[in-house]
Amino acid sequence: MRANIYQELTVTFNSGRLRAILSSGQAVVMHRLAVMSKDGDWILREDDEALEHVLKVLAKRGAHYRFGAPLDRRWLAGGWSSHFEFRMKGLRVRTDFVTRPPRISGRALESVWMNAEAAQQEIPFTDMITLAEMKKTNRERDYAVIGELARLIKDPADCLLLSRSARDLIALAQEHPELLERVAARRPLLNHVRDGRDVLEAELDAERRELIHTNERRLQCYMEAAKDWVSAWPDVSAKISGLPLGEAHNVLVAHAETLLPFHVEVS
Amino acid sequence: MSVMRDEFLSEEDLDLRNLSDEELVAYWNQWLEQAQATNEADANTYSHGVFECEPEVRRLPHVAEFHGQR
Repeated sequence: MRANIYQELTVTFNSGRLRAILSSGQAVVMHRLAVMSKDGDWILREDDEALEHVLKVLAKRGAHYRFGAPLDRRWLAGGWSSHFEFRMKGLRVRTDFVTRPPRISGRALESVWMNAEAAQQEIPFTDMITLAEMKKTNRERDYAVIGELARLIKDPADCLLLSRSARDLIALAQEHPELLERVAARRPLLNHVRDGRDVLEAELDAERRELIHTNERRLQCYMEAAKDWVSAWPDVSAKISGLPLGEAHNVLVAHAETLLPFHVEVS
Repeated sequence: MSVMRDEFLSEEDLDLRNLSDEELVAYWNQWLEQAQATNEADANTYSHGVFECEPEVRRLPHVAEFHGQR
């Protein structure tokens, strides 16, 4: 069977130890919902061995850094992302990495790793609830994915918390009235389930817009914090151009240490 | 009569569930190959992470670089 590059990379990243969980668009494929992204995205272990291993794998593929944070736990721990690109048989392959995925609490992230360790999948990929939280981005199309993911989730409480369908929510509320009371505090629009479909649909639209704006504000904080890094990038990019990835990484780190803050205050 | 439901993704998308592992990988690879057609359009953008677009790396015109080296 001809393998898929994102599956192949995930296997190689995890050679000998679990270090990387395939997430976002390619995890959507693994859940068999849709193929909708060209690029690969992984949650990595936030430790030096894992990051060095991934960097070596990418170096063997002839990858180069795109603009972004160095693949270094000091920046990744602050929520930054690292980005690489390489060519393979006519394909442009992009690999994006975080260790602190957005909207996933520290405790939830611990569970993600514990569950992945327990599952021992050849190709670890994000579970549906984590994926749905990660998909609360500023892109409209991601909310369609959340809508379908919510239909696959078995726990009705999680369905109530994630569903994007007014019809589904009304049906769930009729089936599980006691659950509705319990989870409504965590999702205010659930207080409108009994107000009819039109009201609930308006609440769903408003909730989506608020989630989009929240993510936009988060990204804006990172963009502000990266201003000096953006200005320096043409020079830094010229310095690392053509260098082996390991050397490029060291140059990038040396420059980023003075220009890119490790931590960003997200308002 | 079928019950109306809210639709999010197309039937074609959701049909992935009926594919074997081999068929899924073949479809996935074919999709990626076809998607290369938009590489130029999204050369400077990001699908994931905290960055939205790559800063422009301005190169000096070739003649200016030549004169600069003399």
